Amino acid sequence: MILVNYVVAAVVFSLGVYTILTRRNLLKIVMGLSLMESAGYVLLISMAYRRGSTAPVLLKPPPGETERSLARGNVADPVLQNIALTAVVIGVAVTAVLLTTVVRVAQHYRSLDADDVRGLRG
Amino acid sequence: MSEPAPERELHGREPMHRPWLGALAAGGVLVGLVVAFADLPDETAALPAIARRAMVQTLPKFRTTEPVSAVVYGFRAMDTFGETFLLLAAVVSVVVLTRTREPRRGFMGEERAGEEEQRRVDRGGSDEGSRTAREAEAEEEGLGDAPATPDDEPLATPAPERAEAMTVVTRTAVRVVLPLLAVAGCYLVSQGYSPGGGFPAGAVALGLVLLVHTAFGYRRIAPVVRPVVMEAVETVGALAIIVALLLGIPFAGSFAASWVPLAPEQTLRSGGILQVFSVSELVEVGSGLVIVVFALIGMRHDWAPDPESDSSEDDR
Repeated sequence: MILVNYVVAAVVFSLGVYTILTRRNLLKIVMGLSLMESAGYVLLISMAYRRGSTAPVLLKPPPGETERSLARGNVADPVLQNIALTAVVIGVAVTAVLLTTVVRVAQHYRSLDADDVRGLRG
Repeated sequence: MSEPAPERELHGREPMHRPWLGALAAGGVLVGLVVAFADLPDETAALPAIARRAMVQTLPKFRTTEPVSAVVYGFRAMDTFGETFLLLAAVVSVVVLTRTREPRRGFMGEERAGEEEQRRVDRGGSDEGSRTAREAEAEEEGLGDAPATPDDEPLATPAPERAEAMTVVTRTAVRVVLPLLAVAGCYLVSQGYSPGGGFPAGAVALGLVLLVHTAFGYRRIAPVVRPVVMEAVETVGALAIIVALLLGIPFAGSFAASWVPLAPEQTLRSGGILQVFSVSELVEVGSGLVIVVFALIGMRHDWAPDPESDSSEDDR
């Protein structure tokens, strides 16, 4: 049941949303964002899965399969795998920028509490 | 801010923003997502047309046997191009955010004057605790009376182990593992099933650099990971990507079209433009990740004065 994977992705995503909405520690907020990204990876890879499928590689088909059956859909979806790869790289880049900002905020305000970061409040 | 922060953390009563409201919103998101996901194609559905197209056209179009690489560097080359420059933008932001004050062109000595003032504000030398801390830090950074390389230290030296380098066990293990990992990374990008794999190989390159950094200390790896060197390497990678994709216009009629002659599949040169793009991507991603990690590691201590713990009577 691939639906279980989808539900897990939804739960992990919602946990990330909850973390971001309720936590005040900036590091934990970044961790919540990472959770939401991970939910995206789980969803993409689960959507690429097909029952009894093999990796999308054009070598000799596994025993019991023919080239024709592979082309009909007994491989995992290569496009979604590629999008997951893209998402991982973007996730790393975004997390790096966020963490740098958190370190600078900590140095400037001497606090990781989002409520203490009030420099822009009128 | 009435009670001290460490106490709050210790007793697990971390302050939160309206947990019930957050739970409500997150629960709403959860319900919405589950309802939406219930309609997604399941594991018995046929592959979407775009995936079938990728499976069918990979071999005739790129002479390679790996559709995922063909999608990354061929069919969706434009997206990967954009993604690469998003990564570059992130690297530039990190570098800009972490860069310390540095002498500019036409340097008048402001920085030295500023350091003088900073020292007056800090008054770090005056109290016993912070001086010991500073000495310990200097010792850890290898500015103490340690030998030039950790390998010169006699074996079985008593503790404490310094942050400069790890024990002889770790150093030997890293020396053994490093070439193996390097070969594995090169294999990923050059052969694998087929060309492609610039992104994972870039991550492997970062892993190698970090292993050396952990085992042998920053001073041994510094000549390689200096920003001057790495930023040049990254620029070369980015330029190589731009040139490789632009050459598609004169030779193949459109941006990112495959203009490199196709070699037989399962060889080093199979895939045409894929291999060129993937190798440039390795340079770009590897150097970008190294820059980001070392920019974060090397962020200077640049703290604002703390009104609570610093002696407040003579601060401004």
